[in-house]
Amino acid sequence: MAGIKELRLRIKSVGSIKQITRAMEMVASTKLRRFQDRAVASRPYSEEIAGLVSRLSSMLGDDMEDQPLFSPGAGDRTLVLLITSDRGLCGAFNTNLFRELERWLAGRDVSKHDFFVYGRKGAQYLTSRGRNVTRFITDPPMEEIDYHNAALTGRMLTSEFAGGAYKDVFIGYSAFESMVKYTPQITPFLPLTPDALGGAGEAQSEAIMEPDAKSIFESLVPRYLETRIYNSLLESLTSEYASRRFAMKNATDAADDMQKALKGVYNRKRQEGITKELLDIVGGTEAVK
Amino acid sequence: MAGPISLRVITPEAVTLDTTCSSISFPTTDGSVGVLKGHAPMVAALGVGELQLRGDAGDSAMFIAGGFAEVRDNVVRVVTDVSEPPTEIDVERASKAAERARARLETNESAEGEHLDVLRARASLARAIMRQQIASKYRR
Repeated sequence: MAGIKELRLRIKSVGSIKQITRAMEMVASTKLRRFQDRAVASRPYSEEIAGLVSRLSSMLGDDMEDQPLFSPGAGDRTLVLLITSDRGLCGAFNTNLFRELERWLAGRDVSKHDFFVYGRKGAQYLTSRGRNVTRFITDPPMEEIDYHNAALTGRMLTSEFAGGAYKDVFIGYSAFESMVKYTPQITPFLPLTPDALGGAGEAQSEAIMEPDAKSIFESLVPRYLETRIYNSLLESLTSEYASRRFAMKNATDAADDMQKALKGVYNRKRQEGITKELLDIVGGTEAVK
Repeated sequence: MAGPISLRVITPEAVTLDTTCSSISFPTTDGSVGVLKGHAPMVAALGVGELQLRGDAGDSAMFIAGGFAEVRDNVVRVVTDVSEPPTEIDVERASKAAERARARLETNESAEGEHLDVLRARASLARAIMRQQIASKYRR
């Protein structure tokens, strides 16, 4: 058994760890709220864009197959945009995504996959496994992501695809389902499929097109892709902070329990010491009499 | 046919305007379009310019750049990248942007190369000028 002095030290260090994890929990909750608000605020826009795309694509019908982004690219490589976190201490957030990625990669030719990465953790993971990280996006830092920069990434992916080196593009990220549920997933991004756009939806009767359906569609599709990137980033960030808050809350609770248990042992030892001393004194006075 | 139509201006960051009014006009890529109650369904690609609306609460305007407008069942939905009411336009920034764009156009346009840069400079010049115009029109 540890001495009484060591016990006191341990209680103290557990206490300071508890303070830190509690602070991190609070930081994570405020950030979580911020990203959640942004995710909610961006929803009307993406719904509107997605609605327009599906209505227009049902109007265009078969013409859509001719659009360049609707057929697989000429190359034989696959591009994956992987969205992870910059920092650790967020529970199994990144690990779950990596596990999903490995499952997805199983049976595929890994050497034919290139990666674009958001988040330092993802870059570390992929480089340590010798995967081909073509681009590690650090500017701007993930937490300052806004629509404009997400759009730049979207354009980058689209132009890589249109350049012909790749046959398809995927996004790997953690979808935010609820405060305690984030589902890592790898979803197809390009080429677009009419099904994914909800092409079979309500066929709208002739609306006036200004200037014409095809050119509207052509400028609409890039925007649709941009909103998808933006939403994936926001969802990933929200999941990250939800996950971190949860992990830090668990750590704080565990530290609390540990502190209590240690305090129990410490008090018992202290009492033992006092009793022993008292016995000594009493024994001493008895002997003197 | 005067009557209420509802208008929603939606950007990636927020819904910046959600109101009803009696008439709306917005800039499309092929010129300005006005919408009254009972307008036929329409989808339009938007240009850079001024979204004007007239309603019971008076007239107001907004700077918008790019995006789409959809008119359906007396609801106008404007989906755009940027929307700024006149009071929020940063005039100083706009005039700096205009200067920069002009300078870039002067050096590049004669050189014939860098086509993309010229296009981009033109677009940014158009935005800056429009911002200045709207700001000077509504801000006294």
